[in-house]
Amino acid sequence: MNGAPKEVTLTIDGTQLTVPEGTLLVEAAKRIKTDIPVYCYHPKLGPAGLCRICLVDVEKTPKLQIACNTTVAEGMVVHTYGPKVEDGRRAVLEFLLLNHPLDCPICDKGGECDLQDYSIAYGQGASRLADPKEIKPKAIDLGPTIVLDDERCIVCQRCTRFDEIITLERSLVVKDRGQRDVIATATGTPYVSMFSGNVTELCPVGALTSKTYRFKSRPWDLNRSLTTCVQCSAGCAINVDERHGEVLRTMSVPGDDAVSEGWLCDRGRYNVGFYSDPRRLTSPLLRRDGEWVQLGWDDAIDLWAKTLREAVDSAGPKSLAALGGGRLTNEEAYLVGHVFRALGCENIDWRTGRQRQASPGPRGGTYADVESAQALVLVGVPAAQTAPIMSLRIRKAVSQRGARMILVGDYVLPIRVAHDRVARPRDLASLDLDRYERIAFFWDGIDPRVGSELNEFAESLAEGRKIFTYINGETPNARGAEGMGLVPRSGGRDSVGILAAAHDGNLRALAIFAANPVLHMPGGANFVRGAIKNVPFVVTTELFMTPTAERSTLVLPARGPFEKSGHTFDLTGAARVLRPGVAAPTGTLSDLEILIALASALGVDVPGPVALHRQAVLHAPWVASGFGDPALFAEGELKALRAGPKASGLRLVIAADLFSGGGTVYHDDRLGELRPLATATLSEHTAAVAGVHDGDLVDLVAAEGTLSGLVVRLAPNHVDGTVTILEGLPDAPASAFESGQTVALANVRVPAGVA
Amino acid sequence: MPVSKVLTRGIGEVDLRDLKVYRRRGGYRQWKRVITELQPVEVVDLVSKSNLRGRGGAGFPTGRKWGFLPNNGRPRYMVCNSDEAEPGTFKDRMLIEETPHQVIEGMLIGAYAIGAKQAFIYIRGEFKRGYEVFTKALADARDAGLIGEKLFGTEHGVEITIHRGAGAYICGEETALLNSLEGRRGEPRLKPPFPAIKGLYDEPTVVNNVETLAFLPYILKNGPEWFAQIGPPKSPGLKVVSVSGHVKKPGNFEVALGTTLRKLLALAGGPRDGRKIIAVQPGGGSSACLFEEHLDLSYDFDTMAANGTMLGSGAVVFFDDTTDFVKAAHALVRFFAHESCGQCTPCREGGHWLEVTLERILHGGGLDSDIDMLVAVARQLTGINLCPLGDSIEPFLASVVKRFESQFRGYVRKRAIAV
Repeated sequence: MNGAPKEVTLTIDGTQLTVPEGTLLVEAAKRIKTDIPVYCYHPKLGPAGLCRICLVDVEKTPKLQIACNTTVAEGMVVHTYGPKVEDGRRAVLEFLLLNHPLDCPICDKGGECDLQDYSIAYGQGASRLADPKEIKPKAIDLGPTIVLDDERCIVCQRCTRFDEIITLERSLVVKDRGQRDVIATATGTPYVSMFSGNVTELCPVGALTSKTYRFKSRPWDLNRSLTTCVQCSAGCAINVDERHGEVLRTMSVPGDDAVSEGWLCDRGRYNVGFYSDPRRLTSPLLRRDGEWVQLGWDDAIDLWAKTLREAVDSAGPKSLAALGGGRLTNEEAYLVGHVFRALGCENIDWRTGRQRQASPGPRGGTYADVESAQALVLVGVPAAQTAPIMSLRIRKAVSQRGARMILVGDYVLPIRVAHDRVARPRDLASLDLDRYERIAFFWDGIDPRVGSELNEFAESLAEGRKIFTYINGETPNARGAEGMGLVPRSGGRDSVGILAAAHDGNLRALAIFAANPVLHMPGGANFVRGAIKNVPFVVTTELFMTPTAERSTLVLPARGPFEKSGHTFDLTGAARVLRPGVAAPTGTLSDLEILIALASALGVDVPGPVALHRQAVLHAPWVASGFGDPALFAEGELKALRAGPKASGLRLVIAADLFSGGGTVYHDDRLGELRPLATATLSEHTAAVAGVHDGDLVDLVAAEGTLSGLVVRLAPNHVDGTVTILEGLPDAPASAFESGQTVALANVRVPAGVA
Repeated sequence: MPVSKVLTRGIGEVDLRDLKVYRRRGGYRQWKRVITELQPVEVVDLVSKSNLRGRGGAGFPTGRKWGFLPNNGRPRYMVCNSDEAEPGTFKDRMLIEETPHQVIEGMLIGAYAIGAKQAFIYIRGEFKRGYEVFTKALADARDAGLIGEKLFGTEHGVEITIHRGAGAYICGEETALLNSLEGRRGEPRLKPPFPAIKGLYDEPTVVNNVETLAFLPYILKNGPEWFAQIGPPKSPGLKVVSVSGHVKKPGNFEVALGTTLRKLLALAGGPRDGRKIIAVQPGGGSSACLFEEHLDLSYDFDTMAANGTMLGSGAVVFFDDTTDFVKAAHALVRFFAHESCGQCTPCREGGHWLEVTLERILHGGGLDSDIDMLVAVARQLTGINLCPLGDSIEPFLASVVKRFESQFRGYVRKRAIAV
């Protein structure tokens, strides 16, 4: 392990090159821009040696060798073309095409298909097969996202290997053998994975296709732009493929090694139908006498500015408040603070959901640091639920480095992996973590008391060790909003305080930027609705008429992330770039344009584009001192959190589902069966004790209220004595409840039509 | 010391499944000697000197195979391959059904020699009786203190675990066997790494055939020189040969390597009355055919290889002059196509292609061009697969098409007349 890796010199097609020892021939050839065809090999999945298309001629070996599993050797002489090699490839291609349907004209992969491309390069034109091709199923429904065309499948096993090596979920397998083999799940149940869409990109042919994109377009008709996905805080680079003003699909970015490593989660990949949803707001709407009336942009901005001025003049800046920012770009978030502070308003807070903190402090780590950790401590809602691509790094640390996994709290993981579990951060002391030199701590950013307890523990280990901290919160650009200063300062109220003030009639004007507190804000929908109702003038910028927008005075139609440019911070604090990939609907403005117009109407100077860019990217982000930073919670207005479970009843776990939410998911008709049901998930033991069965309907009852008609689901890995419900479902909002509180199940019944 | 047979001695005369009988005849004495008196390296040395070559098909020198294990302090595993499924082979089945204790003793000695504390035997799923016999024998040996930890007052010991296959020929390939043993899909692994470096549970592993291991007690008892002097020097020793096909008395015969195919034919009772042997497959379904002019060849690894075929697992199938080689070729091709795991393109697609073509020829739909194509496709799918299964299709098919082309042409012509 000392010094630079050894290098070897070899010759490929007459070109001499020197590469590190252990390099695979297929990778070495890339250095001299020589393309060796591959189907089963993939740089991220490693060699499999199955398809046999990558045959090359290595001098002094009698048989053709596969370039994907041959490592370079000193003095090796390789030929990647010539009669021998081409005859080998022709032979393999003849076999591959033997029973492969020639339905390229109706195949989604046509135009970007490796089989098509290599057939043109090396194929023989006519088939010698005198018998009919094998007939196989053309559309096997693998699960909610993926369809398999078995005739097109060349059994390269990239999909099954992805599911085994990268996600560790191991649900996809090859069933049967020989000519009869077929991709399926081992148990015959639907293929459900939050990373399922990646198999359609890995598939070198048109065998695996996405339900949302099947038969939609030809690749050459798509316009591609590179941007950043802001569906969560992971910050993956993403390619947006648009046609006729509609986002038809998104694709991963293979070079994005800093964050996504070329993978996408299904939320980022599939939740794009909302951009062209007919329910998009396209005109400012003013509530007048209980009716929505359309308003021109100038009138809307003038009305807003006038109202703000009057409120400041009559009741002072304390009668103003601004909420939201976690879904904005850094530029927009910066302007929110800039404009409202110019009015003297300090009631500014991005926190409109459960997440209360975004920056983990000076020990914050990078994505690469996760991989190097020997122990991973996951506190609260795990990254798999809130920042899926981060969870792939965690899985990588577990599978490739054997890192130890520790869960704190009642949350479960979607994979089966050995782990320890403790109830609270202070219990971590019993786990001998001091034997590791590199430890990563993940916190959901929800409960500041858990955060400060965790902080204390992490700091106690910091001496002589590398500690990496992360906050895998639910809010996409929370890190940007927090960094741009959308937190209350000098006596300002935080979001809980703002809503309390609203409730008490102490606010004159409230602005809500791209946020939906009615659905997500702790305290419950009824409380938030009531509080908003008590404010005379509420402005919301939104894409859709959300439950929050519905309660507002003025609704301004905004633009989505693929429709604007700017920057965000990913959860590690690194700046990521947004570029527009699709034309925004006429009548909409981005929050940036809205804020500039408002500033202009108010007579507030705003920084020019260059200065704003510097603020958004180079401006040192606001840095917390650590998990549960008291500076963020000093106001003490956050209501006292309930202490631990009580004697009877079930402990509540509020989980995040990739496809819960009231905005982009709710308004995306392509998602269909991906949207979760309102469920109450229990372990088998807990269900038996509670006397409920899989599929029953129950009500969840607590002092804060009742959630009716939850579908009971049994899950083997759930923690006994807990019941898990989902956050952010418009039809069953969980925001009135808190994780860890005691609840009861009542009114158990069998759904109609089942009994 | 002229010993004509060791592994099959006593079968049919006494009940060698009985531990007492086996021990009375000297059983487990070598195991005790090995574990109490010899260092592992000494055992490896003795086996190397005997020149024992693997009896499972590849004929690789056993001592050399053991020598590939790295000294990395990791756990090691000994795996006994009893997934005998090569068409024509039924010797391992007899050994585990009739004399399980000598297999167990061989496994123990082999495991000790390579420093493995844990050994596995992978028994073909169809060998129900063999599994039952072996399970009982293993329990008896354990009760007698022959298996387990700290044996014979030493610090050493070996545990043996039985695993049953689920009916796949491919699991006879050692890395597919290891995958299956681990509970994975039974398909061969990409090599390198080889099992000696990264085998079962990613640890150094040796996979040996039943018969190979069963010879160990006798090599230790009689000395390596005894074994090395039997038969041709480079391919020495005894071999249990399964003889079948058009013979009067098919069965297993333990012979010295270097005997002739004609002698094997005689041992199996000779051809049927009034019939003449015109072809012989000397090494199982994967081997190319030899013909009547080859019957006096020495039956050993090197002579068979020099004549374009192989000794394989020692399965000799005789064909007499009534044989329809189109049907025979179809049966074997169909077998390999059915047993292909489907990982590699050439084996999966090519095998199936040959099968449907032969089927069409058999059913009267053959084209003149089919015959050359059969040979060409078989050639084309050979040598470019991950494991040897795909390469097993060509030898028999090509050899019989060449020799009996008129039979294949006859099928094609029949079609022409029918049309």
